[in-house]
This record gives sequence, C-alpha cells and structure tokens, in this order.
Amino acid sequence: MDSHERVLAAFLAGDLDPADAQRWDEHLLQCERCWRAVREDRAGRQAAQVLRQPTPPGLADRVAFAVEMAAAARTGAERQARPPARALRRGGHGGQLRWWLAGAGAVASGLVITLMVLLLPGGRQAGSVPAAVAAVARYAQAIPPRTGEQHPQRAAPVEVGHPVTVTAGGQRIVLRTWRLGGAEAVVAVSDHPFPMPAGAQGVSGRGMAWSARLGRLGLYCLNGQTSELVAAPVPAAELAALAARLPLA
Amino acid sequence: MGADHRVFLEATLPHLEVVFQVARLAAGDGQEPEDLVQETYLRAYASFGSFRGGNARAWLAAICLNVARSQARRRRRRPWEVPGSALLDVMPRSQADSGESAADVADVVIAGLDAAEVSRCLALLPEPQRVCIVLMDVAGYTAREAAEALGCPRGTVLTRVHRGRRRLAQLLAEAGVSHG
Repeated sequence: MDSHERVLAAFLAGDLDPADAQRWDEHLLQCERCWRAVREDRAGRQAAQVLRQPTPPGLADRVAFAVEMAAAARTGAERQARPPARALRRGGHGGQLRWWLAGAGAVASGLVITLMVLLLPGGRQAGSVPAAVAAVARYAQAIPPRTGEQHPQRAAPVEVGHPVTVTAGGQRIVLRTWRLGGAEAVVAVSDHPFPMPAGAQGVSGRGMAWSARLGRLGLYCLNGQTSELVAAPVPAAELAALAARLPLA
Repeated sequence: MGADHRVFLEATLPHLEVVFQVARLAAGDGQEPEDLVQETYLRAYASFGSFRGGNARAWLAAICLNVARSQARRRRRRPWEVPGSALLDVMPRSQADSGESAADVADVVIAGLDAAEVSRCLALLPEPQRVCIVLMDVAGYTAREAAEALGCPRGTVLTRVHRGRRRLAQLLAEAGVSHG
C-alpha cells in the first residue's frame, strides 16, 4: 500500500485532523481514482455487514454450562491435589488415621469429582464413565428429588426450561428436562450412541438398550436412529416405565 | 465451585454475540461455530487468571481466532485456505483491464447484496484482509480492538480492511456482472 492509500484509509477511518480532512474532501472532488476507492470501500463494508447473524438461542446457556462444568472440574482437581492441613501438621498414628479418613472422604466425593473432570473438552475418561454419559449425569444432578405422586399415570410430560447443547467426549448432545407429575428427568439426544459405562446392563427385549446407576441417578439408554439417554433420580426398576412416557424418538 | 467462573461469565458473556460473529466466519470446514464459541470460552476461562482487565472483546476475539487456527491445523486444513490458482482466477482486475467505471462497481454491489455470494467472495480474500473485515465490519470491533486482537498496529488494520473492502466490492461486482 502506498502512502496515498494509507492516508486515504486514515481519512476513511476519521483519523485525519479537520484541516487535512478538508483537504481530502476537496481532493476527492477532483481525483477519480481516490473517489472510486472511497466508493468501493463503502460498498465492501456494506456488503460485509450483510453477514451478521443473530446469535442462536441457547448458545449463552450452553457456554455458561460448559464454563460451570470446567469450574467444577477445576475445584474438584484442586481439592484432590491439596492434602488435609491437619494431617500435614500432625505426625504419628493420629496423623496416619487422619490421612486414612481423608482418603476415605476423597473416595466418597471422588465419584462426583470424577464426573466433573470428565466434562472438560478432551477430558480423560477416568474410571469407567464415558465423558458423554458423565456430562448427562452432571447435568441431571440438578434435578430435585421426586415429590408427590409416585406413578403419575395420567400426567403429560411438560418441558422445563430450554434445551441446552453441549459437546462432551466428541459427541454433540442436546439436553432437555421434562417434568412428569412430581418427577423430573433429563433426556439427552445424540447422533452417536452413548457408550455403555462399566456396570451397565443390557435391557432384555430392547435390542441396543442399556441401563446403569450412577450415584442417585438411574440411566436408561435407547439406541435407534439417534441415541437417547434418560437420566433421573428414580429407582432402576421405574426407569423404563418413566422413559416410556417421555417424548423420545 | 469457586465464584471466579461467575466473575468470568459476567465479564465475557455480554460479548457472546460478537464472538459468535467471529466464530461463524473463522470456523473451517467441518467446524461448527457454536463449538468454536464454546471452546473459545473454555480457553478464555482457563486463562482468565492472567487476564488483566483489558479489552475483553479483543481478548476473546484473539482466542477465538487462535482456536480456529489450531483446530484447523489439527485437521491439516486452514480455515481460510484458498488454493493459489483459484485466488489468481478471481483477483480483481486492474482499472485498465476491467473497463468498469467506479460507479458501476459500487452500484452493482449495493444493488445485489446476497449473503451467500458475499460469504463466497469474502472467503477468497487473503486471510489478513478477511480477518480485519470480519472483526470490524461483521462483528463490529473498532480498529483499535481489532489491532489488539491481532497484535498488530492500528494503522495496519486500517489499511488491511480498506484493501479488503475494495477487493470484496470488486469481486462482488464481477460476480454480479457475470451472473446478471
């Protein structure tokens, strides 16, 4: 770019002082080459502005959710890495006992922490809970315990909130929360089959279906054209019946 | 869970719309803009501790562009890549060659704006010009913010965006003439 163009770019950006800008205004009346450059600059800018698009609904929720997961994983990792302060201060058998108790506590909370760590992009598949399944389980942790009618036979499912899309374990997952009487459940849909976690059991008569238990959550997965994973804090025996009443594909 | 992620989201979520505009046009083949936005925010959150309260918009744009490039490298394809021969084919002709008047170029572009055609022509621009146009004209960054995001002088951004706009207008005019 020559100096003439550079000054023209500065003129178009409003960078010139009033006196220089006035000189350029006058110059443009006489210089066909510069006037053309100005018109092309404006036309190009106007054309580019056509490419603006509204942000997809739900993207803010998705981003906030992903960051929340990362924050949870970070907190969990820091907690695991930090030895108990009291145990560090005290030696002997008492100290060893506290280390043992602290270790037992870590194991107890480890299940939750492991789920959180798994949600990081490219996160390790520690233990035997695949990242995609862990993401659904983490999301479903927010479901409150069931209240009211235990078997709401006549209740129609009502969607709670808005769908949230996440990516975990290389899978794009759309999460919806449904309320059915006093029970709530998360239905996760993905184009790729949700991997079976260790301990999962095939569901007889349902082909590729499996069920599993993670803490207080029951998981029930149906595989067809899409893979659908239902997660809810209900006994395993009730999961299939609950899933049958949810709007699955 | 610490409170820092809430501070981070308060500081950065207001800029989601501009980050999305950048991501849409920085995403390479097979790369979803929404995935790129999510990865941008996760990377930004991971390095939020080193962010010293400068311009969050520029900081997020820089991260978004870096993520797009690094992911494209992993796929061994550059998001902005245009085969050299194709670029030569569509390089705007000189004034003497084109035979079009100045008014013709601008009028054709403004009269026939079509997002798909604009997107196609934008993809043909050299990356530095394209990035500057995306940041300033599509996402609405100031030249100073774009310069901060790209780590180059503001004057460089101004000259790149000026050249890119002119070339974009010329490409669109040619497309409009040839299609018309």
